[in-house]
Amino acid sequence: MSDLTTSPHTATTHATSLGVDSRKLGVWAFIGSETLFFATLITTYFVFAPVNRARSDFQDPRAFLDIELTTVLASILLASSLTMVLALAASRRGDRRHFTLWLLATVGLGLAFIGGQAYEFSHLYHEGLTLSSSLFGTTFFVLTGFHGTHVAIGVIWLLSTFFKVRSYPDSPENAMDVEIAGLYWHFVDLVWVAIFVLIYLI
Amino acid sequence: MKGHTGHHDAPAHAGHDHSDRFYWIVAGVLAVVTALEVGLFIVNEQHLIAKWIEVALLLILSTIKGAAVVMFFMHLKGDAGIFKFVFLVPLAFATTLLLTFMLLFSEHVGIAG
Repeated sequence: MSDLTTSPHTATTHATSLGVDSRKLGVWAFIGSETLFFATLITTYFVFAPVNRARSDFQDPRAFLDIELTTVLASILLASSLTMVLALAASRRGDRRHFTLWLLATVGLGLAFIGGQAYEFSHLYHEGLTLSSSLFGTTFFVLTGFHGTHVAIGVIWLLSTFFKVRSYPDSPENAMDVEIAGLYWHFVDLVWVAIFVLIYLI
Repeated sequence: MKGHTGHHDAPAHAGHDHSDRFYWIVAGVLAVVTALEVGLFIVNEQHLIAKWIEVALLLILSTIKGAAVVMFFMHLKGDAGIFKFVFLVPLAFATTLLLTFMLLFSEHVGIAG
């Protein structure tokens, strides 16, 4: 087990015959299914890219996508992954002050990402790129919109976890709550790592 | 508080004062790799290197970033094998799916048109 992995033996009510916590196993399985979900959306984007180019309503991604803004958004999510893992480390130490600081910082960075994406969507809309303006618009907004929705769900999850565990973040039960919320949050960051390079840079 | 058992875990990492520093270092590496990605993209707008080389480099850099997040931030490195199984198998399937469809439909309208 890694240093910061919550021991399943300390949360026996959720133990499985596999020797791991059932909630953590469930979240990893969920993340596995989400990987396939986003893979299908990214695949759809690439399958329709040449079709988009061949159509009369063609819109060139390079003419719309803003690399500067997106780099800021990518940096925000990477920073939020750091604050999330620091929150988990603080919770395991029983350091309530730093746990609160880092977890709320993660929430703040998540909200900043959502705000940045809302700005990007608004800007693209005024530039003429909409969900129905072209195949590029459809596949782009569906993919990035679903990701943004996941970030929003992650913010709600983190806030819920914070209010549940803030008094005793280092109890085995609560530390596991923080860990599994963090797993989801890191996965959302991981998806953006893929979207950033595949959609914006390539 | 619900869920507080009163029994505080005695984690194996207790006393690992360098832990936070380690995560800062990982985050620093991720920031550098991101800067390299964006720098490569901007520099190659002048078409200094072949597109396929740029794509290959970007994929390698993003793979490094993703692996770092999964191994160190999500702590999959050294974690139970079942967690690796339920994540890496779908990831391998997803990668195969993407590559297969790219092979079938890239650069032509195909059946999707």
